Amino acid sequence: MARFANAKAPYLRMTDNPSFGTGAIQRDFLIALLPVILFAFYKNGLQVYLDGNISFLEMFYPLVFILIGGLMSTLLEALFFVITDKSVRTMKTLGKKLSVSYAAIPGLLLAMILPLYTPVWVLIFGCIAATLVAKMLFGGFGYNIFNPALIGYVAVAFTLYGVIQNAGGALNASEVLADAVGGATPLGALIEGEGLSYNALVAPYGTLLDFFVGTIPGALAETSALAILISYVWLVARKVIKWFVPVIFVGTVFVLSWFIGMIAGAEGVWFPLYSILSGGLIFGAVFMATEPVTTPRNPLGKVVFALFLGVFTVLFRFVGDFAEGVATAIVFMNIFTMPIDNWTAIIRSELGGKEIFVKGAPKVKKPISKATIKGIILVALILLIALYGVLKAGGMFTASGWILPTVGRLF
Amino acid sequence: MILNKATGIRIDGKKHMSKTTPMHEYLNPRFVYLPLIQQNSPLKRTVEVGDTVKIGQTVALREGFGAMPIHASVSGKVTAIKKVWHASGRMVDALEIENDHQNALDDAIRPEPDPSLFTREELVNKMVNAGLSGLGGAGFPTYVKYLAKTPIDVVIINAVECEPYITCDYVMIEKYPEKLLKGLQYFMRAADAKRGVICFKNYNVGIIEALKPLLSHYPNITLFPVKDLYPAGWEKYLVQQVTGRSYPNLPVEAGAIVNNSGTAIVYADVVEHNIPLISRAITISGEGVKEPKNFLVPIGTPVKELIALCGGYADGLDPAKSYYIAGGPMTGRAIMIDELIVNDTLGSVIVKPMPAERNHPACLGCGRCADVCPVFLAPTEIQRAFEMNDKDAVRSLNASKCMQCGLCSYVCPSHIEISDFVFRAKELLRK
Ligand code: SF4
Ligand code: SF4
Repeated sequence: MARFANAKAPYLRMTDNPSFGTGAIQRDFLIALLPVILFAFYKNGLQVYLDGNISFLEMFYPLVFILIGGLMSTLLEALFFVITDKSVRTMKTLGKKLSVSYAAIPGLLLAMILPLYTPVWVLIFGCIAATLVAKMLFGGFGYNIFNPALIGYVAVAFTLYGVIQNAGGALNASEVLADAVGGATPLGALIEGEGLSYNALVAPYGTLLDFFVGTIPGALAETSALAILISYVWLVARKVIKWFVPVIFVGTVFVLSWFIGMIAGAEGVWFPLYSILSGGLIFGAVFMATEPVTTPRNPLGKVVFALFLGVFTVLFRFVGDFAEGVATAIVFMNIFTMPIDNWTAIIRSELGGKEIFVKGAPKVKKPISKATIKGIILVALILLIALYGVLKAGGMFTASGWILPTVGRLF
Repeated sequence: MILNKATGIRIDGKKHMSKTTPMHEYLNPRFVYLPLIQQNSPLKRTVEVGDTVKIGQTVALREGFGAMPIHASVSGKVTAIKKVWHASGRMVDALEIENDHQNALDDAIRPEPDPSLFTREELVNKMVNAGLSGLGGAGFPTYVKYLAKTPIDVVIINAVECEPYITCDYVMIEKYPEKLLKGLQYFMRAADAKRGVICFKNYNVGIIEALKPLLSHYPNITLFPVKDLYPAGWEKYLVQQVTGRSYPNLPVEAGAIVNNSGTAIVYADVVEHNIPLISRAITISGEGVKEPKNFLVPIGTPVKELIALCGGYADGLDPAKSYYIAGGPMTGRAIMIDELIVNDTLGSVIVKPMPAERNHPACLGCGRCADVCPVFLAPTEIQRAFEMNDKDAVRSLNASKCMQCGLCSYVCPSHIEISDFVFRAKELLRK
């Protein structure tokens, strides 16, 4: 007679394969940051050095800055464990804790979305907000409600914006010298009320192709749609993110911006393109709207979440005068992750699998369920907010106020 | 994935371990232990300790729902009532019969001169008298399905074996193709169904090879290969794929009856020879067994003897670091003491070393569990509702739909026992 081990079914797991698991997912995520970081190095380091505007050592500053972010948040998290967790006594237990906590990611991401010349102490302040407040105080990895990096970003952007500007802001040395743009990033130009004209919004920075490649002023590592696209393909291929979340998010912003452009008299496709290619939208859509912990779990929830994100980004960006429309929208929507997850889970569990009723099956009449009502409410909410945003924003950019004068322009 | 197309996922079948070895008939163990329980309902014993019994003699009765007799699987003497380990994970009372190796048959076992004369009622009655229950795993009394009032147009034979390692159905079909077709034919007559369909995994060409030459005599029976996905053998999927219809509770609602292939093979003997359900096929496999094999054994055979016939446990197997699983690795149950006996529902015993210990992070919220769920549940939401003991929330999340496939736990990158939460939430609803 032998005694065997006890455990819960199933006795096969994908994690039986050591190259699969949450650790591997986080590793793949880190790898996905590489193209973006490399581009940041190219644009804000190498290119500027080749232009002869900074020294050889200064060339590496973008990389160092990002590394400081990752390092800081790791250190802070280690510190947090040492102080609060009694079970952490040795380096080994600490290492074990950190190995399932993925500490570096918030700091890395935060550094990447800050302007290049953000003072390092501001970055550290942001890391404290990100790691200590937004992540560890909520219970650590897996329990945080808000995207840590974005909390860090919002904290910095709303309190220390002036400090960053005084320290040099987002423009690298070459961009400062070029001086074509009056110190503003493209989205800044929009918020400062330049009006919706190609000449004011796009032309000063080059063409839309420059926007796509990312050789325009902006935060350290979020300007290049091209580099992010490479990351996106990698993340989707490695099944780290769902392909449709960024697509729906960006697509919604694109469509709504198009409407706004139409109302406000910015004809053509350049305005919606400009809208999605500026201000960290694509970066946020690929790296933050897909962040698993703080977004809905079930796929229908992810769809709804992405739709809301698109709508609120437009609202915050065009109506609310936040240059940080994307960040604000994501943090704002994080609040609703749980209810959206719950509602969509109910809806999905009831509607799911309907396709199997095909081919001559007798239709079953069911009373309208609570799930259907919840679904209708969700869709109506999205549409209403979107409509409000479009009309309001479209009206804002026409001199004559909003809604009534502008509705006419739609037709 | 979002609202439709939940088709399952591919899992390494590991079928090669036991597929090519021929069926080993082990019909005369020294003792058999007939568990006095079926599907949680206790059986009423009709023999006393000390009685002699013949093969096929009624030794116990199932009462209430699914009432039917249970038969001795060897001839000999009832020597004791003993507690044995059962596939349900508990110890249950069992009738110990010492085999006298005479193979004396009960009088009821005799060939039928002309089985083609049986009426529908007679065919259903034979299922009752034979104590026929589903050999696929659930152990549902077969005749109950045939009492349904709904007209049935198709009888589906489930030979999919979508769980890894298990090959006993496959090997049985290779060995008894004729019996399978006959059994299905009788099932169709018992249900008055026009169509018979045999479903199996598409890579099991051996089944096609075995059945094709015979099919010309059975014009109403067709073969239906299904994709190599888990859980392709789920009743609901099979009915959907074969008929294009879905049903809320039982296949009969869609005009279909699903039977396991092993059950059909037994049924052929039931109809033609009046041999009741006394034996079944079982796969002994897994990396923890020296030479995995398929067996045909009397019900009540101790699994230990079968493992000994497989050459014992693999060298260097550390039981404390291995699973001993009654049933398949996805939906089976780890048994801690290797004193299991073969009951009617036990199709396999898998012995398998545990994977190396890894660290388990918190749920990262990736949603893979919701992606794979064949019934579109959101396991993490159900877990949350369960942990708050919120019955209404559990109910509104339709936790009762869970078919216990275990896929959510299977895919979870953080190794969370997420399906277990869903099972417990289901239990909560029953209270
Ligand atoms: S698969 Fe696991 S980690 Fe992912 S959401 Fe489900 S329970 Fe959480
Ligand atoms: S065990 Fe239940 S909840 Fe989990 S995937 Fe299967 S049906 Fe869905």
